[in-house]
Amino acid sequence: MSFSDELHTAAKSIWDAQLEHPYVKGIGDGSLDEELFRNWVLQDYRYLKEYARVFAWAAAKADRLDSMGWYAAVLNVTLNTEMELHRQYAARFGLSAADLEAAPMWPTTRAYTDFLVRTAADGDMADLVAALLPCTWAYVHLAQELAKGNPPEDQRYADWIAQYASQEFAQAADWLKAEMDRLAEGASTEKRARLMDLFVLSSRYEWSFWEMCWKGEEWSI
Amino acid sequence: MSFCEEQLARVRPVWERILDHRFLKETRDGTIADQTFATWMRQDYLFVEAAIPFIAALMPKAPTAHRRALGEVLPVLERELELFRERAAATGVELEDLKPSFVNHAYVQFLLASAFTRSYAEAFTVLYVLEKAYYDSWMAVREGIDRGSTWYPFVENWTSDAFKAWVEFLAANLDALAADAGVTEREGMAELFELTAKYELAFWEMAATGAGWPCLEEET
Repeated sequence: MSFSDELHTAAKSIWDAQLEHPYVKGIGDGSLDEELFRNWVLQDYRYLKEYARVFAWAAAKADRLDSMGWYAAVLNVTLNTEMELHRQYAARFGLSAADLEAAPMWPTTRAYTDFLVRTAADGDMADLVAALLPCTWAYVHLAQELAKGNPPEDQRYADWIAQYASQEFAQAADWLKAEMDRLAEGASTEKRARLMDLFVLSSRYEWSFWEMCWKGEEWSI
Repeated sequence: MSFCEEQLARVRPVWERILDHRFLKETRDGTIADQTFATWMRQDYLFVEAAIPFIAALMPKAPTAHRRALGEVLPVLERELELFRERAAATGVELEDLKPSFVNHAYVQFLLASAFTRSYAEAFTVLYVLEKAYYDSWMAVREGIDRGSTWYPFVENWTSDAFKAWVEFLAANLDALAADAGVTEREGMAELFELTAKYELAFWEMAATGAGWPCLEEET
């Protein structure tokens, strides 16, 4: 069993809970209230900005030139392509670029992105990839599972599923999984346990992100 | 009006809720459940542990004049941890294999992310607010708590003359940093000032309710 398979096993109950989450199921069958989906559109935009920073740290810390190039390419795509696609997608829900920029970062988004950026800054490459991997991998996993059912009638949800289930996203997840396996090779038991903790924590934040979008969130004051 | 005064006035609604929090009132009145206080002890022990790398991460960005003070606070934090261990041993509170609650985890990530990605003045703002919040909070407990309370050593720790002087040092230097800051940086400082205050309030609430993680099993 590869290390990334071990990570998946450790977080399987959380990933299963994501698949069972009413928000995710609602995207899959198209029943999710559009107003609730706007929460994801707004919060994911804020998330992407910080997510890009993690790739910048990764490019700075990578041990091999090809890895450095891969992270730099993802950083470029995230900043200069994906965020523009996100703005175009948001427009289909009546949200302008100004709306996206003005949206407050909700506590779970703040906590999750601070966790990623902090780990990227003070951890090593293996730590960084362990924390980053659940986002990339779980989205592909969820979308591919949703794609097994009938596509939702709302084309906007169907496009969401198609995007994250695409070969392009799957290849990115596979690359990161292979990178995780390479970085964990020969690591001590303690180090592997730490990587597993980081992976499980990010998986929990992934679940929490759906929960936040489902219920809405605000600071207690 | 200094930057600290201006910002404290701006976040007054949050600050008032911190000082009025039932955790502090019940600690002061001696009615707090041992289990509730133990939750705070376990979580704050983890927080103090995390404060050490936070201070250390500020060091490379710190002006030379700040380095001595930042360096000297590290052994103070180690002594705080010792205080927690001593009180835990005296009261039967377990401090092994602790897991941070969601709020604690989020707060700690916020500290470290601020230290790594924001300017020194912005991260220093976070340090000032969290220390000021503790000084004010424990001062509110001090007014009325039984000096023989099991928890009084914590009150003494964060209301001591030495801690007061540390908070005053932070305030004076934060005001100086704000005076030198441009508009954008000052806005960032104000943003982090407010966020830190909110995390302080959320921390007391977490301690009072024992809230763990919002999904799956609880781990506090």
